[in-house]
Amino acid sequence: MQKKKRCGSIKVNICNKTQYFKSKGQNKSLSKEALFKEIFQANSKKIYHLCYGYTGDDESANDLVQETFIKVWQNLDKFRNQALISTWIYRIAVNTCLSYLRIEKRHPKDELTDHIIETKGEEVSEKNEQVSSLYKCIAQLEEGERFIITMVLDELPYAEIAAISGISEGNLRVKIHRIKQKLTEIYNKYERF
Amino acid sequence: MKDFEALKVIWHNQITLPKVSQDAVFKKIQKTKNGLSRRLLFEIVGMGLAATAIIAVWWIIPFNMWTTHLAMTIFLACCIYYIIAMISNYRQINYDKLIDKPEDYITYLKKYKQERYVLNTRKYTVYSIFLSTGFLLYFIEISLTTPLWVTILALIFTFSWAAFSYFVSMRIYIIREESKLEEMIRNLERIQKQFDDTDL
Repeated sequence: MQKKKRCGSIKVNICNKTQYFKSKGQNKSLSKEALFKEIFQANSKKIYHLCYGYTGDDESANDLVQETFIKVWQNLDKFRNQALISTWIYRIAVNTCLSYLRIEKRHPKDELTDHIIETKGEEVSEKNEQVSSLYKCIAQLEEGERFIITMVLDELPYAEIAAISGISEGNLRVKIHRIKQKLTEIYNKYERF
Repeated sequence: MKDFEALKVIWHNQITLPKVSQDAVFKKIQKTKNGLSRRLLFEIVGMGLAATAIIAVWWIIPFNMWTTHLAMTIFLACCIYYIIAMISNYRQINYDKLIDKPEDYITYLKKYKQERYVLNTRKYTVYSIFLSTGFLLYFIEISLTTPLWVTILALIFTFSWAAFSYFVSMRIYIIREESKLEEMIRNLERIQKQFDDTDL
């Protein structure tokens, strides 16, 4: 409920953005900054999850989050308010992940590096270990599946995932069902060893 | 044995947060913006200066032959073409495409890369041919006013430089970009297949 409210509030802000800018005139850049901060706070964590799930690498995920929000800033004025802002940001993030692979010639890792676990040393709680294992399992899925499952895990409505990935809702449901099964199997297998 | 709901609980227990702050993003935005505009400005000013030099030479030196005037026109046309290609390439960083469906974005990326390939091969060849023709025409009048050895030396130097750019530098650049292009298309096609509805 809380999430929907947050998105709704941002949507209202964006919808009224033009009038707001017109009335404020010279404060336009300041308003844009405030709006951006609100968007960043509301979405950065989920975008990080998506990028981390896709790359399986903390450093690359942070680079991608940064790159995504730079593009969000650059596009803020062009935003078409017929779509939810979160859908729009997710699309930028997915497309940034795709082109990141192209430009940097980096390959999404098949497995998470042990570095992530090692650096956290003894502080790593059982919960954190489980999270790391989960990311390792996600890394074993196909790239497209990784995008979808991180959005499912972050509880995005199916309609929104369909809009982001460009897959029809009916097909998406079938796809999600398969990915859920696949991930559960991988995780259980992983936990046994 | 865990079911998907249990995995969801694990997921929501994660405390990993992005290490990127809003301030870092703002700093990077400023840097990127300045970097891009500076680079573009630098290239445009550079080519603008070259064009000015050509016009100055054309204005100051009273050339008699039509071939030289034609050469100057070709040089200027090459400068203008370069500036236009640069601006158009800059505009091609089309951020609107980023909010397209991933499938459409992949198609756009493929198209963009193909266009880059055409620019680096066919268009660069045409550009080089025009530039070389311009130099050939220019040296006709020069050969009549300077000693033969100067003309020969200038010809050797100019065409060696042109040949090196075309056959060595550009070939290496094209091979590198082509291998990147091939790898990118392979990767994108694989991902596109995963997004495809028809595999269900």
